[in-house]
Amino acid sequence: MLDLLGNGILTVLQWKYLLPLFAGTFAGVVGGALPGVTITMTIIVLLPFTYGMEPLAGLAAMTGVYVGGSAGGLITACLLGIPGTPSAIATTFDGFPMARKGEPGRALWLGVWASFFGGLVGGLFLILVTGPLAQIALAFGPWEYFSLFVLAMAMVAGLAEASLIKGLVATAIGLLITVVGTDPIGGGNRFNFGSEFIGGGFPFLPVLIGIFAFAQIMTDIEKMRQPGAQGEVLAKRPTLSVSHLKVIGEIFGRPFMFLWSVVVGIVIGVLPAIGGSAASVLAYDQAKKFSKTPEKFGTGHPEGIIASEASNNANVGGSLVTIMAFGIPGDAVTAVMLGAMTIHGIQSGPLFVVQHPDLAYGIYAAYILAHPLMVLIIGASTFFVLRLTSVRLAVLAPVVLVLCVVGAYALNNTMQSVYVLLIFGVFGYVLVKAGFPLAPLILGLILGDQIEINLIRAIMTDDNPWLFLTRPISGGLLLAALLSVVLAIWQHLRHQKRTAGEEEADF
Amino acid sequence: MRLGRDGIAGLIGLAVSLLLLPQALSLPKLPIVPVGPGFYPTIVFVFLGLTSAVLLAQDILAQRRAGSVGAAEIPAGPPRAYGLVAAAFLIVAVYIALLPLIGFRIATALFVAAFQLALDRPRTPAQWAMLGGIAVATSALTYLVFETYLLVLLPRGAWTGW
Repeated sequence: MLDLLGNGILTVLQWKYLLPLFAGTFAGVVGGALPGVTITMTIIVLLPFTYGMEPLAGLAAMTGVYVGGSAGGLITACLLGIPGTPSAIATTFDGFPMARKGEPGRALWLGVWASFFGGLVGGLFLILVTGPLAQIALAFGPWEYFSLFVLAMAMVAGLAEASLIKGLVATAIGLLITVVGTDPIGGGNRFNFGSEFIGGGFPFLPVLIGIFAFAQIMTDIEKMRQPGAQGEVLAKRPTLSVSHLKVIGEIFGRPFMFLWSVVVGIVIGVLPAIGGSAASVLAYDQAKKFSKTPEKFGTGHPEGIIASEASNNANVGGSLVTIMAFGIPGDAVTAVMLGAMTIHGIQSGPLFVVQHPDLAYGIYAAYILAHPLMVLIIGASTFFVLRLTSVRLAVLAPVVLVLCVVGAYALNNTMQSVYVLLIFGVFGYVLVKAGFPLAPLILGLILGDQIEINLIRAIMTDDNPWLFLTRPISGGLLLAALLSVVLAIWQHLRHQKRTAGEEEADF
Repeated sequence: MRLGRDGIAGLIGLAVSLLLLPQALSLPKLPIVPVGPGFYPTIVFVFLGLTSAVLLAQDILAQRRAGSVGAAEIPAGPPRAYGLVAAAFLIVAVYIALLPLIGFRIATALFVAAFQLALDRPRTPAQWAMLGGIAVATSALTYLVFETYLLVLLPRGAWTGW
């Protein structure tokens, strides 16, 4: 394993991989820092640039975006009081108060170093666990795969949002999109209503780009006329110089809290579609509960920053485990990565590590190397990134949309993909306004084909439907799916009791 | 009977599933596979129909409860610029329609300019110049990067040949 990892690191250190990794990490830091631009949006914008690259170069760039974006949000969270990404919200609670107290450098670097070390521990988990998990998954038959995918969808529908039923409807819509087009077993056409346009089904990436990019941009445009979205800016350009050894000492002076935050991040990352924001808020909450000085949280307490950022970046490692071992994307970012792998003809899943060890270990290496790059980039370009946050939405939105159009068009050089992009852009925005969560829809969209193929394979092997329940792993996974739904119903009922009104849905 | 946002969504979901279900059931079976191409879609449509029906029922019950208790005043949220969103969608749609007609370079420059104009109208000559500069630069740079370096053949215009 160490040999493969060493080779992976040496490979990624070559310019043709290091440059995309650096560019991706830089784009991630900038995208993460820009309020309103999410990591998903950044990776979507970067996607068309990776089409012409070698698979590893493209995946290295995307891994860089993921790592850089997860840390980039803390720049604006600490220095402007505006979280650049949802996963930096908890960092704002203590980062900005600390900066206002005259310690912006300490706030920023506590976050950066916590991200760095948290991410590296997450990477260790990624490297050690992906292989064994994939080995377990290799023993799965179609019954187990079918049940695993059902579990993933049940968890996402239940845990991603407060409304279980809307999560389930969104899942059903995602699955419905995949049944249009070619039947994966017989190869015949179905539900295309005689139209050549949808004869081959809806291409996955334009659907994904349309739904996410338009929903995000149009929701931002909606709020353009609202006053006071600029946040409270520090009075003058602050000095960010700090003793790095002292800051690192502050992190390792709290080993239990740091490690527990990392564990929270990894576990949330492994579970599909819960995401970095939940990880950082949960880790923050846990750190506060375990702290000897919980009353200091929210006033510029270092523990708040460390917990949030360590968890947030460890989450990335957990998400990558799920996609590499099972082929199930942990979140929208890994969903795009999965799409990019498909474009290059690579099938993610348990065989991925065995069949493409060079790529798998290349991704591990890119993940590890992205962390020092992230530290260097933030150290060198914090003020440049802060200046970029003043770019108006009127400028940013059309540029992003042009890249989305190019991204869809460049998939197969046809306008059909661009039309699909527009159709699903409108559809995604309508769904968001109707209060439907997008994560279950995307997971349904990604897993739909695989669910059908495994279901049919299972029936073709043995037409006894009880095997889904009587095979121990399959039955266990379906039971877990049922428990997940029951838990979500219980949470929903509890939530209903607590809240009387309903806020208007946002992206 | 008044329906809320969820009720309308549930009704649409239910209608779609009821519309597609007969088609799924009528798909011909394959000789070597025990289940036909309509088997899995049938499960999906039934799933969509059931969940949509529950959403619809939940909304009807919620509306009745709200009606019997008396409509509570919902505090007005911050103003949202839905007109701008509609304009933005329209500009994107026109851009996509024009792409194969006037080509990527001209359409993109016009699109970026129109989008900026709709969202934030310039007031001074310098701002107008900036708007034009950003529009031309975006078009030129994306064309250069994708056509020259990434070898993506971007759309040419049927009318302009450019």
